[in-house]
Formats: sequence, structure tokens, C-alpha cells
Amino acid sequence: MIVPLSHALILAAILFGLGVFCAVARRNLIMIVLGIEIMLNSASIAFVAAALRWQNLEGQTFVLFILAVAATEVSVGLAIIVYAFKRTGSFDPGNYSMLK
Amino acid sequence: MNWMIAAPEIFYFAAALWFLMLSFFSKPDARREHLSSLLLASLGVLVCLASVGSQGYIFIQAFTADIFSQVFKVLLSLGLFLIIALCGNLPDVGERRIQDFYFLLFTCTLAMMLLVSAGHLLSIFVSLEVSSYSLYILVSLRKNQDFGLEAGIKYFLVGTFASGVMLFGMALLYSSSGTTYLGDMARVLPGMIDQPVVVIGLVLTLGGFFFKLAVFPFHFWAPDAYQGASNQVAAYIATVSKVAAVAVIARVVAYAGQESTYFVHVLVILSVASMTVGNLAAIAQKDLKRLLAFSTIAHSGYILIGILALNPTGWSGTIFYALALLAMKFTAFLVVVELAPEGQNLQINDLAGLHRRSPLLALALMVSLFSLAGIPPTIGFTGKFLVFVAAIERGYIALVIIAMINVVISLYYYLLVIRAAYLLEPSIELPALKPSMPIKLLAGISTGVIVAAGFFPYPLIRVAQAAAQVLLVGR
Repeated sequence: MIVPLSHALILAAILFGLGVFCAVARRNLIMIVLGIEIMLNSASIAFVAAALRWQNLEGQTFVLFILAVAATEVSVGLAIIVYAFKRTGSFDPGNYSMLK
Repeated sequence: MNWMIAAPEIFYFAAALWFLMLSFFSKPDARREHLSSLLLASLGVLVCLASVGSQGYIFIQAFTADIFSQVFKVLLSLGLFLIIALCGNLPDVGERRIQDFYFLLFTCTLAMMLLVSAGHLLSIFVSLEVSSYSLYILVSLRKNQDFGLEAGIKYFLVGTFASGVMLFGMALLYSSSGTTYLGDMARVLPGMIDQPVVVIGLVLTLGGFFFKLAVFPFHFWAPDAYQGASNQVAAYIATVSKVAAVAVIARVVAYAGQESTYFVHVLVILSVASMTVGNLAAIAQKDLKRLLAFSTIAHSGYILIGILALNPTGWSGTIFYALALLAMKFTAFLVVVELAPEGQNLQINDLAGLHRRSPLLALALMVSLFSLAGIPPTIGFTGKFLVFVAAIERGYIALVIIAMINVVISLYYYLLVIRAAYLLEPSIELPALKPSMPIKLLAGISTGVIVAAGFFPYPLIRVAQAAAQVLLVGR
């Protein structure tokens, strides 16, 4: 393997941090879901790199499942968000503060 | 391969499919659906009881049946049955959605059963996601759309964030250990537990489970989800979902996290933070379900004490506590459901005059809240006693003292609720409540179980000890 595992892990960690920042700091429901998606993909990168490092296929298998779960996340999440948009006309999470 | 060891899962899968097919091909009928789901759930309890002794592996150990998982499956099936018994009147779920409601309940329970049996990171991940996604939709299903929608959005966002964190933790664990089986991890990880990558990976992985249990940094969803979801769904989240979370955390910590001081320190901090935050925030609550949500957060702190003790006493105490939580929270939510026939949210002041409107429900509420506070002789006291003893055995005196102080704080807000039910007079005279016969029976039995298990806990403790042996073999 030409690229050492640590480099791939650093890349994954940077992506993970970007995803967390996007999910926490953005004031738009769609962008928050996008940030979470980036977090899932950073985990995928780490899995693929580790699968190469250990020469077994479990990491690759994991990634296939992550793709499926990410698709579920988008379908359920966007369904809820689009419905919320229809009712309130905004993507701002600050509008949802009735429960307290 | 021996498929019979997965008999409970196969049964619940078939039951879920049955409701899915119904929702495709038949007109909804609330009463028929309720009776058939009650029948299926009670059969499910029998199936789980019948397969208590089964042991073995399928799918190359990704699915492991042992006494630990089978005991938890009995608890889960019992919890589902009890919750469905409360669903006789579902004002908060539209008639059109009733089949989907039961479909999701059964799917969620199926996923939790797979979760307590999971022996591989992948099976843990997939079953955790399936149960979470069912719950996101169940929470959003509330007819009062503004509440349901807001709770659904918050629950979904926090939940997927937590699963992203968990996934990254799993990737770190895999990249440092090269294995994804919990059994292999129990062999490999103790040698490398002091590497920062491993500790970070372990803590992040547990983050996903802590979300299910509503432990401190991942607790934000709980009050909103409880308040926004319909009463029955909130009851389901407070009982069944917590039992599954306790099981998976106990197993993963027991297998992977032995004898690491850093790791135990992290758990101690989380435990103290979640019980303190839960108890202090609960004092200020006016909404009864929100108060119960914060009390759940506090209880997850107590449960963590049993888990971080990392000794057999602690594990059996944890298992006993899960059972106690099921009984106590169910009884409290039974009263909530019965007091809100239109499915509205109850304020604490709405309880005024309850002891005259329905003495039985008032008694059930009082016993369950005393048990939640940990007053002897109730099942809640025994549970707390067991986990505290386990922590003292390991020398965590300070932790136990902090927990004791928290118990005293929690007594204050539980007593406020009991005062509302017994001493406050309603401003307008309210009609007496007439709970149906099965509900009366259920309230009587669950109250009786809480008290009886406080006096005679030994049979249950013995079951918990037998189940805890499995975690010991893991080392």
C-alpha cells in the first residue's frame, strides 16, 4: 500500500470534523442532513483504508451497508423536512421551538 | 445452521410482515388491528419464554444467542405486549395510519432483539439503525402535527448525528484492531486499550448507544421526543428502547473495555453528568411526560454506575435495573395514558384530585414514582442498591455519594407529582375516571410486581446473575 493508513485516517478525521461543523453550525435543515451525510462518508473512507491495511473484506462490506443506511437517512429525513417546509415555509430549525 | 435459535426474531419478522401486508391490502379497523396485535404480542412473549434456553451462533457469529440475550428478549417482548395493551384507544394516531403504527412497533422490537443478540459491529450497526428509523417515524406519526413534526425533526437530527459518531468510532476500532467481531475484540483490545485511538474509538462507538439510552451529551432529544410523541410511543421509548440500549452497552463495555482507567474515567464523568443534569432539569418541568423524560436521563446515569463497575455484581445489578425500569416506567405511563383519553399532553397540575377520581390509578402512580425515587420496599430501591454495592466493591465511594445526593434531589420532584395527585384540589370538579377492566388489572398487577419484587427480589436477582455470567465468559 502506497498511502499509509495514518494518512487516510487523518483525511477521514478532517472530513468528520467538517461534517460535525456543518451539522452543528448551519441554520438550515437540509445542510444539517448534508453534514451528517459527510460524517457517514468519512467513516466509509476510514473503513476502506483499514480494510486495505488488514487485507480483509469486512471494511468494504461495512461501506456497502453504510451506503444503504445513508440512502434510508436521506429518504426518511427529506420526507420529514419537505413536509415541515410545506407546513411552515422555512428550513430554519429555529422555527421549531414549541416544545419546552 | 440452526435457525431455531432465532425463533423470536423469525416470529416478530412474520408479525411485522403481517401488518405490512394488511396495510397494503385491507381497510384499517382500529379494533381488529388492536386485538390481532395483542394476540401476536402475547404469542411473541410465549415464543421468547420457550427459547430462553437456546444457545448458539448463526451468520458466522454475527448473531449470537446466549442466556444474556434471551433474557433480554423476554423483557423486550413483555414490554411490547404491555405497550400494545395500552393502545386500545389510540386517539393520537389517525385511523388510516393504524396498521403502519403496529408494523413499525413490531419492526422496532424485532430490530432490538437482533441488537441484543448482535456479536459483530455490522449487525449492531444495522439493527440499531432499523430500530431508530422505526422510532423516528413513530414519533412523527402524531396526529397533532405541530408537536409530532417538531419532535420527529429533533429526534431524527440528533439520532442520525449520533449514528454518524458511532460509525466513525467503529471505523477507528476496526482500523486499529483489524477485527469486527466482539468476541475477537475482547481478546485483542485489552492489550492495546491505552492507545488513544482505541479509547477515542470506543468512546465514539458508545456515543451511538448512549443516544439510545439518553446519556448526558446525547440526551437533548429525549424531552422533546417524549413530549411531542403520542403517549403510547413515549411509553415505548421509555421502556422497551431503554432495555435494549442497556443490553448492548453492557455487552460492548464488558467485551471491549476492560481494565482501562481512562475509559472508566470517561464513563464516570458521563454518569455523574447525566444524573445531575437529568435531576436538576426535571425540577423545573411542568409537563408530566417531559418530567419523566428527564427522570429517564437521570436513571441512565445510575445504570452507567453498574456498567462501569465492570464486575459480575455490577452486570447483574444492571440487568436487574433494566427490568425495574421496565416495570416502573410502564406503570407511570399507564397512568398518563389513562388520564389523557384524548391523547393530550398532561401538565402536573392536571393530576389534581386524582385520588378521588380513581384511587387505583393514584396508587399506581404513587408506587411507581416512589420506586423511581428508590424508596424501599420497591423494585427501584433494590436496583439502585445492587448497582451502588457493585460500585463500592470497586472503591468508587465518591461516585456513590454523588449518586446518593442525586437520589435525594430526585425525591423532591417525584413528591411534587405525588402531592398534585393526592393533596391538590382541582379548580373545577372533574368526573370520576372509569378505567376498563383490563387496564385496572394491568395497573394492579404492575403495582403488585413493583412492591413484591421489592420484598422478594431473589428469584429475579438469580436470573440476572445467570445472564451476567455470559459477560464474564467474554473476558
